[in-house]
Amino acid sequence: MTVSAIEFSRIGPPKLRPYAMRCEDCGTLHAWWEKFHCYDCNSTKLSELELEGGGELTNYTVVYYPPRDFLGQEPYVVGHIKMDEGVVMPAPVVDVAVDDVEIGTRVKSTLRRMKLGHEGDIYYSQKFIVDDAPSPEKPVAAKKKPSARKKARKKK
Amino acid sequence: MQMRVGVLGIGKTPHKIQHEKGLRDLIVEAGRGAMDDAGVEPEDVQALYIGNAASTGFNYENSVGLMSSHHLGLVPAAAVRVEAACGTGAWALHLGCAAILSGLYDTVMVMGAEKMNDLATVEGTSIIAQAADAKEEYFSGLTFPSGVALSARKYMEVYGLTEEDLAHVSVKNHHYGARNPYAHLRFECTVDDVMNSAVVADPLKLYEVCPMTDASSALVLCREEILRDQPDKPQVFVTATQMATGTWYAVSDTMQDAYDLLNKPATRAYEMAGITPDDIDVAEIYNSFAIQEPFGIEALGFAEQGEGWKGAKDGSTWIDGKVAVNMSGGLLCKGHPLGATGATQAVDIVEQLRGTAPEEIQRADARNGISACRGGPGAVGALHIYQRLEG
Repeated sequence: MTVSAIEFSRIGPPKLRPYAMRCEDCGTLHAWWEKFHCYDCNSTKLSELELEGGGELTNYTVVYYPPRDFLGQEPYVVGHIKMDEGVVMPAPVVDVAVDDVEIGTRVKSTLRRMKLGHEGDIYYSQKFIVDDAPSPEKPVAAKKKPSARKKARKKK
Repeated sequence: MQMRVGVLGIGKTPHKIQHEKGLRDLIVEAGRGAMDDAGVEPEDVQALYIGNAASTGFNYENSVGLMSSHHLGLVPAAAVRVEAACGTGAWALHLGCAAILSGLYDTVMVMGAEKMNDLATVEGTSIIAQAADAKEEYFSGLTFPSGVALSARKYMEVYGLTEEDLAHVSVKNHHYGARNPYAHLRFECTVDDVMNSAVVADPLKLYEVCPMTDASSALVLCREEILRDQPDKPQVFVTATQMATGTWYAVSDTMQDAYDLLNKPATRAYEMAGITPDDIDVAEIYNSFAIQEPFGIEALGFAEQGEGWKGAKDGSTWIDGKVAVNMSGGLLCKGHPLGATGATQAVDIVEQLRGTAPEEIQRADARNGISACRGGPGAVGALHIYQRLEG
């Protein structure tokens, strides 16, 4: 989990805001790390799409034995959040009792301290909190064409 | 023409916590064992493919291939370390088979080794998490247990099974693991024991998670004719080797990715060997977490999608069932010495086909076996088929 200070200067700042990568050819949204090519159609034309921050918990677990950098946070909820724009992101859900979380819970992103490095270095990123506000109108969903890659993969 | 790679010899260390032994001690013990069993001398081995997943993390040492060549007395043979997350040992076997089939070498050694217990669990968990994208996806606090817990929850939700249903997988593995003298966790357990064990990552409980283990396993492989020319030796051959990669990330959350990861190479492997799932007597299926056993059972064609968990409950994957799955106790009992696991699965199947497995876990007259290894969040699939071919 450890990263050098130099590497974190490259990969850390992008984590301060919620965004997805959008394929300019087929419209598919991917998690932020898919910056090289579209996993669905292989296009290399990708651009960043800012996310509103709202979503729904579609799967989760409660971690009782964390990796070193998360020691002291356990037990914590981490799961998959389907953002209102349609992309799925992995993230912790905080400020909630582990028993009060369920699939379908509305959540919204918030900038928090994610973890502590072994030298006391602090890593910030997006965590999620329960959103009690009524479910919003869905933001404009990304326009999606059928994926050539998915079809190709099925044929194999 | 069908591929056949002779298995000339096998060796393995006990799978357990071994504070008295270092990585090289384990490697030499297993490697020497395999050469003795094969009846070859170090100078007969032309190349070594050794699987080791994380020695830089666990042992602060690198160049495992070179270190092993030296201490096994193989110099000046070719030697290389292979790494592919939890599929590491199986990849070494794949490369060893490919080297024989290419005609480049007559005799090679394939090994796997991992020494995990010099570090505390929290350090080990962090090192293992590097097999996924620890800088992006797993930056969120995911670990391997919690990543798999997500797929377990999804599988249970989609196919409608309970935590008690899944617990039978651990009960079966522990039944056989208790009877395998090389296993790490040698005790039986009940569904209640599984249900009452500590939660590691909800819904996965301690008895559904493999331990960290120190071990090494080795096979000496040769061209088909070399083994054929020694009819007094057990005539066990690798008759299919297939590898695949899948997505390195687990956010897709679809059961299909987990299925395809092993199903695609399995389909090709059956074609390669010219047999079907119905012909298989024994299978070693990767189950570092209990939920992965049904994933494998389904992908290998032993059950329909969503029904792979039933065999542990109804007996069809027990020793006298339709196919005997994980007679070694699986990773749940043997532990998961990352790089060794794929090689250990191969050794365990070869023992079954030779008829030399411990009596209580020996499937009667096993002739065809398969091993399935997987690694990463859903990133590596590895299939090998083995057959005892007389005459």
